Amino acid sequence: MRMRKSGHRAGLLLFIGMLFPGTMGLPVAGWAQESVAVRATLIADAVPDDPTASAWNAIAPSEFPLSPQVHWPTRILQVTVQSVKARAIHNGKDVAIMLEYADPTEDPDDAAAVEFMVGEKKAHFAHGQPMAQVEGGPVNIWFWKNKDGKAVDMTAKGFGTLKAQDDQDVKAKGAYANGEWKVVFTRPVTTANNETDTQFKPGDFVNISFAVWDGKKEAGGDLKEKGSQKAISSWWYFRLDPAPNYTPYGYAALAIALAAGFQFVVIRKLKKGSST
Amino acid sequence: MKGPLIKPLVLTGGVYVVLKFVLPLFTAPLPSSLIFLYIALTVTGVLIFTTLSEQAMEGVFGPVFRFLSGEGVGGAMQTARLGLLVLFPLLVGWQTYSSTVPSDHPPAENRTIHPAPPGEFAGLSNPIPNTPENVMAGKGYYAAYCSPCHGAKFDGKGPAAGGFSPPPANFVDPGTIAMLQESYLFWRIKTGGVGLSTEGMPWKSAMPRWEVELKDEQIWKIIMGEYDGAHQKPRTWE
Repeated sequence: MRMRKSGHRAGLLLFIGMLFPGTMGLPVAGWAQESVAVRATLIADAVPDDPTASAWNAIAPSEFPLSPQVHWPTRILQVTVQSVKARAIHNGKDVAIMLEYADPTEDPDDAAAVEFMVGEKKAHFAHGQPMAQVEGGPVNIWFWKNKDGKAVDMTAKGFGTLKAQDDQDVKAKGAYANGEWKVVFTRPVTTANNETDTQFKPGDFVNISFAVWDGKKEAGGDLKEKGSQKAISSWWYFRLDPAPNYTPYGYAALAIALAAGFQFVVIRKLKKGSST
Repeated sequence: MKGPLIKPLVLTGGVYVVLKFVLPLFTAPLPSSLIFLYIALTVTGVLIFTTLSEQAMEGVFGPVFRFLSGEGVGGAMQTARLGLLVLFPLLVGWQTYSSTVPSDHPPAENRTIHPAPPGEFAGLSNPIPNTPENVMAGKGYYAAYCSPCHGAKFDGKGPAAGGFSPPPANFVDPGTIAMLQESYLFWRIKTGGVGLSTEGMPWKSAMPRWEVELKDEQIWKIIMGEYDGAHQKPRTWE
């Protein structure tokens, strides 16, 4: 039996295409990546600024271990809070981040903070301290203390440079119950201060780190944890979920139609070829 | 008729088995991308060979084409053919979807764990004599300054290690200090995480900049104590 040449070529092409999805520009191998990150769920309503709001129950937390701050003096070798759970919600306009952690006592000086890099330049997680071979950028710190009952929006670029910003864009609210703190920070997704505030863009990952102070008073009257003596993490990732994007489904449908059409044409040619 | 088609399949399968399972018995395993490339070359070779003559071509592709066109195919083979014709467009659609859908994962980080040290640290040798007293003193400094993160057992599992990513180095692991020179450790301890070059991602490292708090002599002794405690030897250039 002889086949027509065009049938041959088309059949060959389909055969190779079926053997090697890789030859069609498709991914061949992939590997797991670090996937622990805080993802802010997109909602349509106003973001909850209250730690007890029911909206938080629908959000899965990400948990991050904390270390005593041993990176620079004054150090601390043991801290109360061993890990922090983080959840986040945004509505495209405002973003809310809730930290949740176990602390056996409620104290006026209990405090918590989140830190972000600002802009494109990398910043060291320790207050954006200078790096020998990399030109670093500033960090933006959102700080909450129980007795103040509010957030302070701060900037640092190196030790000893931490200061409250002129524009205070962050709000915070804490709630203590059953040996556990829940602290919610809220801020507009973007602000006017590109130099000092981190700016969020749905879909883009930014770096985030955490700090917690157990403000318990010790027998001598000193606070157990204060200043640089705190529980900290290094950098993790934070992202606002992007709005649903349906174009990949469109591309997939188009690809299916093209592949089916291609198949149809090839098989018709094969049939014609073999019938002569 | 089946003979000519079987041969290339056996050949390709054989090449895959050799590359994937036999070769690693003698040398390092090949990356999957390289295996893919070799298989692609084998298939290309087979295709060139079988298309040299019309007869060979018919022998190899005849059954395939008849299967695809459905000519004279019945029963289970017909079901398999229909399944393939449905699956192929779906596979292409799925692959297109997964390659165009925005990634939900944080950016991949290709951190270099041991980037090159600055010139002034290369080739420095430990000026402190390796005596039991000095090793002991080094272990004492290690216990005070290093063990909270790097661990009393030199395994990187100290009580303060948990919150840091990347985690503190495990000196017992043969992939850390055993493959480094003492001068490298001197650089890393002295200038800390912030002393790293860009590829080492200094912004993530919790390693303190010990030059602010310790004398060089203490650092050299710590290095001796570290090697001794982790039962490792510094790398030397023979």
